Amino acid sequence: MKILIIEDEKALSESIADYLSVHEYNCEVAADYRTAIEKIEYNTYDCILLDITLPGGSGLKILEQIKEDNKTDGVLIISAKNSLDDKITGLNLGADDYLSKPFHLSELNARIAAIIRRKNFDGNSMIRFGNLCVDTQRKSVTVENNPVELTKKEYELLLYFVSNKKRLISKDAIAEHLWGNEMGGNFDFIYTHIKNLRKKLMDAGDADYIKSVYGMGYKFTDQ
Amino acid sequence: MKLIAKYNRVTIPIIISILLISSIGYYFILHRILIYQLDKDLRIEQNEIIQHLKETDQLPETSDYKDQQISFHPTNLVELKDKYSTQDVYNRREDEMESFRRIDFLVTQGGKYFIATVKKSQQETEDIVRLILMVTFFIIAMLLLILFISNRFLLSNLWKPFRNTLEQLNQFNFFSKNKIALQKTDIDEFKELNETVLFMTQKLTLDYQMLKGFTENASHEIQTPLAIIKNKVELLSQSENLTEAQINVLQSLNEAAARLSRLNQSLLLLAKIENHQFAHIDTINFSSMLIRYIDNFDELAQAKGLSISKNIEEEVVLQMNESLAEILISNIISNAIKHNVDKGNIGVELNKKYFRVSNTGPELRTDTAELFGRFKKESSSGDSLGLGLSIVKTITDIYGFSINYDYKKEQHVVEIIFNDLAIE
Repeated sequence: MKILIIEDEKALSESIADYLSVHEYNCEVAADYRTAIEKIEYNTYDCILLDITLPGGSGLKILEQIKEDNKTDGVLIISAKNSLDDKITGLNLGADDYLSKPFHLSELNARIAAIIRRKNFDGNSMIRFGNLCVDTQRKSVTVENNPVELTKKEYELLLYFVSNKKRLISKDAIAEHLWGNEMGGNFDFIYTHIKNLRKKLMDAGDADYIKSVYGMGYKFTDQ
Repeated sequence: MKLIAKYNRVTIPIIISILLISSIGYYFILHRILIYQLDKDLRIEQNEIIQHLKETDQLPETSDYKDQQISFHPTNLVELKDKYSTQDVYNRREDEMESFRRIDFLVTQGGKYFIATVKKSQQETEDIVRLILMVTFFIIAMLLLILFISNRFLLSNLWKPFRNTLEQLNQFNFFSKNKIALQKTDIDEFKELNETVLFMTQKLTLDYQMLKGFTENASHEIQTPLAIIKNKVELLSQSENLTEAQINVLQSLNEAAARLSRLNQSLLLLAKIENHQFAHIDTINFSSMLIRYIDNFDELAQAKGLSISKNIEEEVVLQMNESLAEILISNIISNAIKHNVDKGNIGVELNKKYFRVSNTGPELRTDTAELFGRFKKESSSGDSLGLGLSIVKTITDIYGFSINYDYKKEQHVVEIIFNDLAIE
């Protein structure tokens, strides 16, 4: 999987590349408008992470260029502008998703995975992990072919875990992913969800992949 | 007070008093002239009597007509100056007092002295004065009335450009594409006003755009380093073999960064709302939006064992910005969940008049009115920024909704009363 990170802040693009490389993504970085345009012209990427404010030109212009060339690369806008206009303009121009800075890397990773899944919908919509199988098209989960009945939030939580498998996910990232900003910083509610999800997975076939990491958060792992 | 009313309040008493004083003066002058005229008539009469005496040496006959009476009385006086006076006499026929002007003068006839008296009725004179006065008063009244009416029409016409400017200013909005359009006028004062208004609005628009730019830039500048901190901490947390002390440091860093980023976003949101950056008005179905949000938080509420009772009227349609409506709902509902107790309850009520959310929760320690202020919060816990209600208040202010917060019978009640204009 090839990812292009168009971001002028070196520290940020490095972190992103670092985090994504573990998930078998091949990351390239373009730090300004011209480099980005050149890279897009000669390559095809599964997903392009696009910052809007760039030296040398607007990220929205790059987006226009991508669409003009009839490229099918997925585009995820990552902007610090957090302004509604940009979000609407970006999505109208054909971006697949919008994430405002600052974001959790786990959130970014989950969004990229979702975009790539949607792009390759002719391919496999099944995500397997050990004896667990998530069908992202039907939004159903099975453990050793036993169906697991999950609530909406539990499903979202599991998908988030699966997308960020073997990585530590902070409680804050989970709270924000499930309920948005309003519930950020409020962790009481996560425990119940995790407890319920873990119990359902265990009951269906001993799939105990959710590990609590002391003081930090959770990890979805088979080790 | 209207300018015209103020103007009238000053000018009308002055006009009335001037007219009153002058009509009193007018009355006296007129009266004096007519009496003088009467006295002249009396002198003619006197001359006639003296002439008659000279020619005939006989006293003329006394006469007693309605308007002129002549009489003679013998007297011991040998010298008397001509004496003019006014006398009120009872008129038996008309049953009223009648004024007479009289002249008394000395005449001699056959060596005897007589006082001759000629009286002329003043009635006609009085009638004329009265008539003239009445006409005068009528003219004054007409004048005032015409002045009043014409002022009203003329002035309201004159003020038209002013009203137009005022209306344009009222409708002035940083977002509307149509520029302020002022009516042309040939009155210097209004021309000056319009020029100033144009200058001011242009300056304001410019300042506003600069401010908007500044807000955006500040956001960008703060968000990026924040993102770097957050992501680096996240990366570092991924390392194996961290000691407990290191984990604690990382967690504190993570929490502080998360709090800072929420704070920054909330402050930016407040600034944006206050700068009317959410001016776009949508027609939104508040009912379905509310239900969607409650459903979204449903599992969260269940996790805490909260029971939610809903009394939501369908099709409550509001004219407001969609994003702001979402922020309003999610802030209030998430507050009701966050600041609740285990196995507590939440009541959500919505109709065309108000939106009310009540929830169980620990007793308030601060004044309810203060809760809308910025950074006012009940707990010092990190999950509360103290900006949620302030954001809600700012949104309600924009649309002219009124908002109340009350703590009664162990229930926190937030009530938003809609503005008639926003309801469709």
